Amino acid sequence: MRAPHAVRASPSATVRLTALSVLLFVACAHREGCTGDYCGTLVIATAGEPESLLPPVITSAVGLAVADQLFLKLADIGLSTNTVGDEDFQPQLAERWEWADSVTLVFHLDPRARWQDGRAVTALDVAFTFDAYNDPAVNSPFRSGVRAISAVTARDSLTAVFRFRKRYPEMFYDAVYHLRILPAHLLRAIPRDQWRSALFGRRPVGDGPYRFVSWKAGEQLELAADSAFFLGRPHLRRVIWRLTPDLQVAVTQLVADQADAIEVLGPPDNLKRAQGAPQLTLYPYRGATYAYLGFNLAANGDSSRPHPLFGERELRRALVMAVDRERLLQNVWGDAARVPPGPMPQLWWIWDPETRMLPSDTAQASRLLTRLGWRDSDHDGVRKRQGNRLAFRIMVPTTSAVRRQYARLLQEQYRSLGAEVELDEVEPSVFAQRAAAGRFDALLISWNADPTPTSSIAQTWTREGIGRSNYLRYVSPAFDGLVERASAGAGRRAATQRTWRQAIELLNQDAPAVFLFAPQSVAAVHRRVADVTIRPDSWLALLRTWRIPADRLIDRDRVER
Amino acid sequence: MNVRAWLALLGAIAVALAAVGEARRLAARGSRGRRFFRHATASGGLFVLAFFTTVAVAAPLVAPYPPSSMPEIVALRDAPPSLAHPLGTDLYSRDVWSRLVYGARVSLGIGALAMLVALTVGAAAGAVAGYARRWVDPVLMRLVDVGLSIPRIFVLLMAVALWERLPVSALVLVIGLTGWFGTSRLVRAEVLSLREREFVAAARALGARPARIILRHVLPNVAAPLIVSAALGIGSVMLLEASLSFLGIGVPSPVPSWGNMIADGKDQLATAPWTSLFPGLAIAVVVMALTAVGDALRDALDPGRETA
Amino acid sequence: MTAWLVRRVAAAIAIVWAVVTVTFVLVHVAPGTPFLPPAETPVDPAVLERLRSQFGLDRPLSEQYVRYLREIARGNLGESFALHRPVADALAEALPNTLTLAGAALCIEFVLGLALGVYQAARARRFGDVALGNATLFLYSVPTFWLGLLLLVVFGQWLRWFPVGGVVDVVTHESLPWAGRVADRLWHLALPAGTLGLVGAAATARFERAAMLEVLGQDYVRTARAKGLPERRVVLGHALRNALLPFVTLFGLAFPFLLTGAVLVETVFAWPGMGRLAAEAIFRRDYPVVTAAAMLASGMVVLGSLLADLLYAAADPRIRTSAA
Repeated sequence: MRAPHAVRASPSATVRLTALSVLLFVACAHREGCTGDYCGTLVIATAGEPESLLPPVITSAVGLAVADQLFLKLADIGLSTNTVGDEDFQPQLAERWEWADSVTLVFHLDPRARWQDGRAVTALDVAFTFDAYNDPAVNSPFRSGVRAISAVTARDSLTAVFRFRKRYPEMFYDAVYHLRILPAHLLRAIPRDQWRSALFGRRPVGDGPYRFVSWKAGEQLELAADSAFFLGRPHLRRVIWRLTPDLQVAVTQLVADQADAIEVLGPPDNLKRAQGAPQLTLYPYRGATYAYLGFNLAANGDSSRPHPLFGERELRRALVMAVDRERLLQNVWGDAARVPPGPMPQLWWIWDPETRMLPSDTAQASRLLTRLGWRDSDHDGVRKRQGNRLAFRIMVPTTSAVRRQYARLLQEQYRSLGAEVELDEVEPSVFAQRAAAGRFDALLISWNADPTPTSSIAQTWTREGIGRSNYLRYVSPAFDGLVERASAGAGRRAATQRTWRQAIELLNQDAPAVFLFAPQSVAAVHRRVADVTIRPDSWLALLRTWRIPADRLIDRDRVER
Repeated sequence: MNVRAWLALLGAIAVALAAVGEARRLAARGSRGRRFFRHATASGGLFVLAFFTTVAVAAPLVAPYPPSSMPEIVALRDAPPSLAHPLGTDLYSRDVWSRLVYGARVSLGIGALAMLVALTVGAAAGAVAGYARRWVDPVLMRLVDVGLSIPRIFVLLMAVALWERLPVSALVLVIGLTGWFGTSRLVRAEVLSLREREFVAAARALGARPARIILRHVLPNVAAPLIVSAALGIGSVMLLEASLSFLGIGVPSPVPSWGNMIADGKDQLATAPWTSLFPGLAIAVVVMALTAVGDALRDALDPGRETA
Repeated sequence: MTAWLVRRVAAAIAIVWAVVTVTFVLVHVAPGTPFLPPAETPVDPAVLERLRSQFGLDRPLSEQYVRYLREIARGNLGESFALHRPVADALAEALPNTLTLAGAALCIEFVLGLALGVYQAARARRFGDVALGNATLFLYSVPTFWLGLLLLVVFGQWLRWFPVGGVVDVVTHESLPWAGRVADRLWHLALPAGTLGLVGAAATARFERAAMLEVLGQDYVRTARAKGLPERRVVLGHALRNALLPFVTLFGLAFPFLLTGAVLVETVFAWPGMGRLAAEAIFRRDYPVVTAAAMLASGMVVLGSLLADLLYAAADPRIRTSAA
């Protein structure tokens, strides 16, 4: 057809603009700019946008990533992401801490710490922060994370005392991991029920290695290094998040050298594109998400009755075995993910490839279905039993390309087995609503997990999670008991790990879900950036130490504001 | 792709050519027909439409593979065009050509049906408004003003959001029901000018009921502009369907439509361009054909105006 | 004239009110919850429940509607659920971007479309006309977003002539002199506005060619030719002026179409404008943003058609205010 004409028609109108912009860049390049060790500019391509930069009301990953450059925690988790005890934690705002007794934790703040408006950071700020996170009016999603702490008080201006309700292995983690210490003097005047949309959240003042510069919705968010930061001056002078709604656009920006870094490349096509870009280095790290096809054990929309299909354990087992998880993984992820041995991301320390699960065996699944009485007696391609068709719907959110892809593959896999699957591709708002109300047969869901399995497993897979995130209504007292024992973790680590494995194997045998993938995250960073260390639970946590050597600076590093 | 599929493809081309030839033969008899084919692009447009209609009807013959079968999800993922798969395969190892063939059914079908809905509602509303006047007319026309003052895509997005899962019939209905505003204005204007003419006045004097007058005397006289706007409208519905698919709403999987094929392939545009390039071209070609035929029709039916 | 204007303005307000009402009901009736468990992390349902009551979503719909209208009358558009900020702020940030995009696209559409249409009409049925006719027909027939995706891959990723998404260069923009800033903006505008403008220009060219041909066939143009005026003056001086008249209406009508196109183009090019804001708000069930955006869009469309009518009346003295 005439396609070439049409496409070629556009540059003529725009070539002049290009010439103009080339001139512009030449002009920029000639200007004297920043030189030396503290120049670097890092442009981060981001799919998504923070909703606020006031930590207790942030829920988005990118919002937390930005806020963590602005606000310090008392101590932070180590590279090992070990959440048990306090040995692996690194001092941050607190220079040291000690246990006064088994439920009392005392933090000594670093006297050098300053808010970026010049005020000192005090223990009063710490007490204020806990109070805010714990206040129903603030309505922080992290509130449940601090419920084991009964009080935080300031003994003097540099000493904060945490008191716990009980003793358990992850006390220290709960005390420090979610609380970003806030400036009481700037926030006290704002009514608590207005924090959600407080202006402070769009123009924050923190105590971290970076200070806030500007934020334009849908465009960019810029931070600048605080050269007086008490734990050491950050090497990168400017950090700019380039905000786009779409991962594909973000990857394209990166590949076209219009950005320096991305948190997660995602599916293998993006990996391939990034590998083809000579200026990029890839950094794989343990991913924090896992996804599964979950079967609603209760009837669709009526939690008092069992599901007509999935209420039956044997049928679920057949449906789990019917899925060739490895091949699906190969299609969607290539080598960039693994089939999880249970409900867990690669990040968790309980990840154990030895965990027993049901085999992927289509023939066996088919035999099992026949044995259960599901036969395609009239040869229309769908199995039936006592007049009931083996038919169900899979709900999947439209916004997740990967899960949509999985849904279609599953639909085809089940079709060849004689199960009729229809897809409900729904908007996330509908997905969330229906999942919570139990109005679905099966759903494709993924969880983005904290570094610890304890609360996440309890909320998604035990009786405690009914009405919360246990959308499948899976209840097994034996499993609950094992999880409780593992979480209390009185014994040694090896023993705890054994308990976890026992629990997961029990779950696998009950087959409430097909565990499909747990991606390995792969970040891409411009190769001129040196000393890139990525902490798996929060990829920019160590950004302060990344640097661009003086001899590798490029134009965008030198630009003076 | 096997011999049968190639033969069927050649057959479809032959049928389309024959249809165009026949149309030309018939057209040569009347002045309207001659004016129609005076347009250089009319024959081409007609051929394209005839071809895709044939292909859509005979999809099981023309398509070498079932449209949603995934023969080899790892080895044949995003395979480039080859003899076995003339337009390549998509992310799921499905044959793009087969899906294009079956997609013609869905896309052309949605286009035609939604247009029919829009046309019917628009013509009815316009005729009633123009004929009845009094309070009906202003009410209907203000409704049309409201409809035209929200960008259509917003109306569609909001209407589509009313369903938790969207059946294709609802999609057709929603597209149709948001597309009749222009038609109703057109028809109303024609009716307003017609109702004062002698033959209508005469019919009224003879005691004919309004419904009968509208159906027997008024509508036939506005048929010409309606047919033209229908031809153009099918194209715009197809574009709209594609846009909705791109925004994540459209014909549900695994049924292929050209719109959801583009949407499925858009993330691979840089690595496997064939998956979304060909359905996009198909839409462009069919819409071009519809526009060309619509233009020629306008000329043929309304010789007063000289147009492109 | 004044009475006419008053009537038109009253009608305009009524239309906007109707749009707001319809939108309000539709979006509230639609299934889905505006408050999601964020980023797929398990969250306490109590948190979401508290948010619902904080925003009054646990009240009857009629009560919410009355309260919403009262707030609007006070000039308060409410607070966005998803963006954690006042709706007015979000709109104020997005609107200029959309207006820039739509304005630039409109310029391309009319300048390029007019030029092509006039050129084609002057060479009717010769090679240039036929070739351009086919090219414009093709552009007129492609899905806008598909064209945008292609241009983005070709000129953004492969040739790297233009930036991939964004409004300004995030690193250099602030440090540029004003001329550089303008150039930077234009450079970022090129692909999205080009996509939207090219598709529009194709339509305009087709329309203008027909209008010109009609005028060129009329008596006074023949007279002008017969007087021996050069063809260039006949076309540009006599014919064009009269062929422009129908354009004014087209101008008024172009706006809703531009907004529709903007939704798609803004999505493709990550352009932070109204269209994207509204579409995302619909998906997220961000009620206050949806209704406010609908109000704004319909307000602009109604205003646009009002202006077009005024222009039309000014341009053509035969049409007087009775034709409302």
